[in-house]
Amino acid sequence: MSWLANLSRTYDDHAKVVGQFEMKKNGKEYALIPISHTTQTAHIEVHLNGKGDIVNAKVVEKNDGSTIIPCTEASASRTSAPVPYPLFDKLSYVAGDYTQFCGEVKGTPYQDYLNQLKAWCESPFSHPRVQSVLHYVSKGTLIADLVNRGILYVDSQGKLLEKWIAGPGDQEGKKPDIFNVIAADQSGAFVRFAVDIPGEPESRLWRDASVQQSFIHFYEMSLQDKDICFVTGDYLPVADKHASRIRHSGDKSKLISANDSSGFTYRGRFRTSRDAAVVSYEASQKGHNALKWLIDRQGTTIDGKVFLVWGSTSLDMPEPQEDAFSLWDEDDEEAFAGGDTTHKEFALQIRKAIGGYRYDGEYNSKHEVTLMTLDAATPGRMSIMYYRSLDQNEYLDRILAWHESCYWLHRYRKNKNDKPVSFVGAPATKDIAFAAYGPRASDKVVKGLMERMLPCIIDERPIPLDIVRSSIQRASNPVGMENWEWEKTLSITCALVNKKEGYGVSLNTETTDRSYVFGRMLAIADVLERSALGKEEKRATNAIRYMNAFAQRPGRTWSIIQSNLQPYQARMGTGARYYNSLLDEVGDKLQLEDFTDKPLTGLYLLGFYSQRNDLYTSRKDKEAAATFDKDDENQLNEQGDN
Amino acid sequence: MRNQIEFEVSGKYALFTDPLTKLGGEKFSYQIPTYQALKGIVESIYWKPTLTWIVDEVRIMNPIQTESKGMRPIEYSGGNTLAYYTYLRDVRYQVKAHFIFNPHREDLVHDQNEHKHHNIAKRAVQVGGRRDIFLGTRECQGYVEPCQFGEDDSFYDRIGELDFGTMLHGISYPDETGSNEREVRLWKAKMQHGVIQFIRPDECTLVRKVGEGTAKIFDAGNMQSVDDLHSEWFGNEVSE
Repeated sequence: MSWLANLSRTYDDHAKVVGQFEMKKNGKEYALIPISHTTQTAHIEVHLNGKGDIVNAKVVEKNDGSTIIPCTEASASRTSAPVPYPLFDKLSYVAGDYTQFCGEVKGTPYQDYLNQLKAWCESPFSHPRVQSVLHYVSKGTLIADLVNRGILYVDSQGKLLEKWIAGPGDQEGKKPDIFNVIAADQSGAFVRFAVDIPGEPESRLWRDASVQQSFIHFYEMSLQDKDICFVTGDYLPVADKHASRIRHSGDKSKLISANDSSGFTYRGRFRTSRDAAVVSYEASQKGHNALKWLIDRQGTTIDGKVFLVWGSTSLDMPEPQEDAFSLWDEDDEEAFAGGDTTHKEFALQIRKAIGGYRYDGEYNSKHEVTLMTLDAATPGRMSIMYYRSLDQNEYLDRILAWHESCYWLHRYRKNKNDKPVSFVGAPATKDIAFAAYGPRASDKVVKGLMERMLPCIIDERPIPLDIVRSSIQRASNPVGMENWEWEKTLSITCALVNKKEGYGVSLNTETTDRSYVFGRMLAIADVLERSALGKEEKRATNAIRYMNAFAQRPGRTWSIIQSNLQPYQARMGTGARYYNSLLDEVGDKLQLEDFTDKPLTGLYLLGFYSQRNDLYTSRKDKEAAATFDKDDENQLNEQGDN
Repeated sequence: MRNQIEFEVSGKYALFTDPLTKLGGEKFSYQIPTYQALKGIVESIYWKPTLTWIVDEVRIMNPIQTESKGMRPIEYSGGNTLAYYTYLRDVRYQVKAHFIFNPHREDLVHDQNEHKHHNIAKRAVQVGGRRDIFLGTRECQGYVEPCQFGEDDSFYDRIGELDFGTMLHGISYPDETGSNEREVRLWKAKMQHGVIQFIRPDECTLVRKVGEGTAKIFDAGNMQSVDDLHSEWFGNEVSE
């Protein structure tokens, strides 16, 4: 289904939550806005009675300011020219005595506002409480009333104060509320109305569904211009302008825009944008409002690029750019805190976590998942960068396949108690970006990589070689970074290499692959020297220091590492016997003709990691190994979760 | 059938621009080819004003995937701008189409030799078309090969029905409608097991008038009979 039709269907499917505010984790409110409405931040709340007299007024607290207001197409995209909103607006529109307090204004905003409100009240869809508002604002005494009630402040000339200047007797904390909620001067305050009628529960007009419906009907009536809609295929009133502020409240770019009459985007075959395509007002409003809601609710934004996934049956879906750790619930993760679980158990957990999203309701109805990525190349126009809609089960299978093929043992995440946790699964695409391009990679680079990784996950394409190669390069250079960062880079790189090779975390003792065997030898050298150094000594081992050279010229570098190893073997005496025999055993796997200076493939990292992991875990019971394992843990504790 | 061709067209990228995104210039592709795009491909394979091609069905072979590219379109008012175009990637379609004689070309009645045109069309498919093929937009080169419609496996073989909603069907030009009006046709596209069966242009009910024009006139001034050309080149020799 086309993107706009899909979004407007999502709107219809969730019609029951229209107009309800929900709270995000960071305390920000969002809502699925009804058609012909938008949101604004209100600063002043005026309470009226049924007869249209002011009874109370107050300054709205900052976190309560988000208000759903009715809007027309013209007011939704107003810029410098004054176009009033139908019901709630700034003082310059709503207050009849604005010029008296603030000086001259451009145009006739108050008169325009009043005429528009009158038209609504005189239409068959008028609402009694909106009439009370009309009655009140016609009096033209709003600012005077607010000044009398101590909401707004005037200077000695009787004009509104531009800035609060604390008098000699005032303390800093006694600044009037209005100056705390509004950044500019008082004249820009946004007013919303409530009408208290005894016996009616909802006095707040901006939360009253009947007022919203009343306006929708009224506005519908005024839309006369009908045409065939390219989204629904029905003969409906057309949208003249389309929504902006899609990604966030300050975003001016539009998905559908048509102010370009010189760039030959549609001209040539068509004369006007109207000839090229028309969208109905309803489809445009519903689609855009649903998109804004989804982005607020579950979108991921990086440098302006929005990654969005939603399901038609259940909105929440596992996101492709997240790592395996984020799949399980907060409570589940306690089970893994120890980090001793086997890969099989992790795989089972991933299956279980993804299975939780599967819908086992009616089999006949279609459950679809839509992936959408938005970005703007220039301010003003937004583009759909990636769009895919696929069957829900297929989508979950792909996500599962990704976590089960591009997996490794990671130790860089922390749980909510700030304890490091180990998990097996795929890394987040953002972390892959940092592994490939370093922690200082710009957001631009990160978002680019994240988009390139999407087809690898959704379409099971191989990971682009440059990403893998760059990660291998960085993972081979441990001296260039902090220990925790290198460990993170290493395990992510192992996941990327493993995706292609499919070796697994557990040590493969059978393979005679040259790179893998060389990697194992490097790990043994590292562990041997580490245990000889003792836990006080933090310096890097020879194996780690020569890692980069070793990857490039393994034959020559190995002889250097081996000769550097001798003093440690000597120091450990019989303690080194196990390592020495293991070294012989592994070295034996290497064919004579393979002992050359040909550079190693990324597989050596797998050999290195698995061998080291194996040495640290299987000999845990032995005291020496156990302490170093702990040491290893301690170092991991220092890492941050980025 | 005596007037039908079947072929496979494939390409690395395709861009069947969704008209909604064409207005602003950030072009985004429809998920499936439009009737008009396929008709254009068929006409690139072989066309004469005598013929009107009707596209019957298309079979989507590869999974529908999109990929975006940064573009630097030329602003005709001067300078450059930036845009993202979103293409379909790695596309392969099997197409079945047939021709009818254009009823509005009474001047070309003498050319209405079905057997001749069918054989030329089949030969044109064999060599990959007479003109170069592109998938939706000019920068998306396509390649035509003959095929048996329905052979090979399609990614969507086992997927019952996919609804693409309302989309563009094509544009009716005066040349083929007989009237002096240009119209945009819409239809509701549905895919069954990977196959989309198009309705004929005259069956579209969602039609918008978007302008007017006239059909190009073909006469002795811009056309030459093949017999005349032959005698011009070879005189009165009789070919073997």
